[in-house]
Amino acid sequence: MQNESTIDPKIIEEVLKFSRNVIEAPKFVSAPDEINLEVTPHKVVQQIDKTRLLHYKPISGTKHKTPLLISYALINRYHILDIHPEKSWVRNLLEQGFEVYMLDWGTPTSMDKYLDFDDYVNGYLESSVEYIKNQSSTEQISLQGYCTGATIATAYTALHPENVKNYIATAPVIDGWKDTTVISNLAKHMDADKMVETIGNMPPEFMYYCFSVLKPFEQGIEKYVKFFKNIDDKKYVDNFLRVEKWLGDTPPIPGELFKQWIKDIYQENLLIQNKMHVGDELIDLKKIDMPMFTQVAVGDHLVSPECSMPLHYAVGSKDKTLKIYPTGHVGMIASSLSQKKVLPEMGTWLAERS
Amino acid sequence: MSSKPQALTSIGPMRAFAANSKKIAVELIEINENLLGFNQYITEYYKQLSETWGVAQKKVNQKAPKIPQDVEQIEAAKRIWIDIFDNDFTELFDSKKFGENYGNLVSKELELTKHWNNITNVILQSVNLPSKEEVDEVYKEIHSLKKRVSKVELELKKEKRKNAK
Repeated sequence: MQNESTIDPKIIEEVLKFSRNVIEAPKFVSAPDEINLEVTPHKVVQQIDKTRLLHYKPISGTKHKTPLLISYALINRYHILDIHPEKSWVRNLLEQGFEVYMLDWGTPTSMDKYLDFDDYVNGYLESSVEYIKNQSSTEQISLQGYCTGATIATAYTALHPENVKNYIATAPVIDGWKDTTVISNLAKHMDADKMVETIGNMPPEFMYYCFSVLKPFEQGIEKYVKFFKNIDDKKYVDNFLRVEKWLGDTPPIPGELFKQWIKDIYQENLLIQNKMHVGDELIDLKKIDMPMFTQVAVGDHLVSPECSMPLHYAVGSKDKTLKIYPTGHVGMIASSLSQKKVLPEMGTWLAERS
Repeated sequence: MSSKPQALTSIGPMRAFAANSKKIAVELIEINENLLGFNQYITEYYKQLSETWGVAQKKVNQKAPKIPQDVEQIEAAKRIWIDIFDNDFTELFDSKKFGENYGNLVSKELELTKHWNNITNVILQSVNLPSKEEVDEVYKEIHSLKKRVSKVELELKKEKRKNAK
C-alpha cells in the first residue's frame, strides 16, 4: 500500500523503555526521609531562638587564620551548600583549609511574625559573629552571603564594617528595580501589608507558587522526563532526589521581615539608594570598605545579574572583584562548575586576604 | 426581666455567640461581595494562561514537524515545544498585566481569608478564647521583650570580652 505510514521501531523501543522506567522507579528511588542532607560533619555551637550556628569539622587542618561565616538565604535551607560530598560548597572550603561556620535561620512559627531585619542583622547575625570572634580569638571574620542571605550580610557589613575582614556576596538581592526576574514582577505588585496582617508569616506555599512559574515547562515537565529516562543511573537519581528534597522544604519567612523585604528592596528599592533603615540605623553601602568579592551567574532566573551587580559599584571598597559565571542560581553553588571554577577562584582570593 | 426559659437559653458561651451572630452575618455578606471580585480576577488569570497557551501552541505548530518520524525528530519537537512554551509563559509572568492581575487576585484571596478570620474570632470569643488580635498582642510583647534581653546579653558578652583583654 502506497499511503501506509511506518513507525520507526526505535520510537516504540523508547516508549516501552520509558514506561518500564516509570513502573520500576519505586525500586530505585529512596523515600524523602531516607535521604540525609547533612553531609559534612558539624556541631551546633550556638542556638538563639530557632536559629543555629553550625561549625564544620576541619578536614585538612585550618590553614587560614580568619574564620568564614556563611549567611545562607531565607528561602529553602542551608543544605544546598552541602548537598552532596562531590558538590559540597562547605566541604570544598574545608579542603582548602578554611574554618567554616554556617548560620541556619531555622523554621519560624506564627510566634515569630514580628521578627524583622533588625533581629536578623543586629540580633542573630551579630551574635554569631561575636561568638566566632570569641572562639577564634580574632577581631574580624570573613563573611559570605548567598541570595537573600547576602542582603542580610550586606546590611550587616555596612553597619559593622569593623567586624568583617573580607566580604563575599554570592547572587545578592540588592537592586530590586533592576531585577528582571518573574519573582521581582510578582513582588512589585504584591500588597505585603495585607498579606502580613492577614496571614502573619509568608507561607511556604507562596514560595512554591513562585518556583512553579520559573521556566514552568523545563522545570515542571522536562526535568521529570529526564529523571525517568535516567532512573538506572544511581548517581543521577541520588543527586536529583537530594535537590528535589531541598526544593520541597522551604520555611516560612517572618511577616515583618518579609514586609520590609518586599517594600524596601523590590517596591521602593531603598537599599541601593542608601535609604534603607535597619532598626534605627541607615544602611550606607559606602561603609563597606573591606576587600569584597561578588559572584553572579548569567543564567540566574531567581536573582538576575542586573539585580546583584550594582552592589559591586556601590560599595566603598578599593579592593573589589566581580566574577560572572556561565551558570544559574543553584549551579553557581552546587555543581561541577562551582567545584572546578567558582570555589577555587573564591578560595584563592580569600586565602590571600585571610 | 428575662423569663426562666429565656435566661436558660441565653447563659454561658451561647449567649455571647447569639449576641455576635450579627457580626457573622455581616462577614458572610461581605464574603459574597469579595467573591465577585475574586472570580473576576481568577477568570482573567486563567484567560491569560489559556491565551498564552494558544499562541505558543500555534508557534510550535509552525516550527515542529507534523508527524515526527524517528526518535531524533520527537526529541527535536519536544525541545521546540518546551522552549517556545517557556519563553511565552515567562514573557507573560514578567508582564505588567499579569503582575497586576495576580496581585489583585492574591489581595482578594487575602480579603476572603480576613473575613474567615473575623468569623473565627467571633466564635473564639463566644467560647472565651483569645482572638487572633489578642494572641498577636502577646506575640508582639514577647518579641519586644526577647529583643531587649538579646541586646542586653550581647552587650554583656562584648563587655566581658573587652574586660578580658
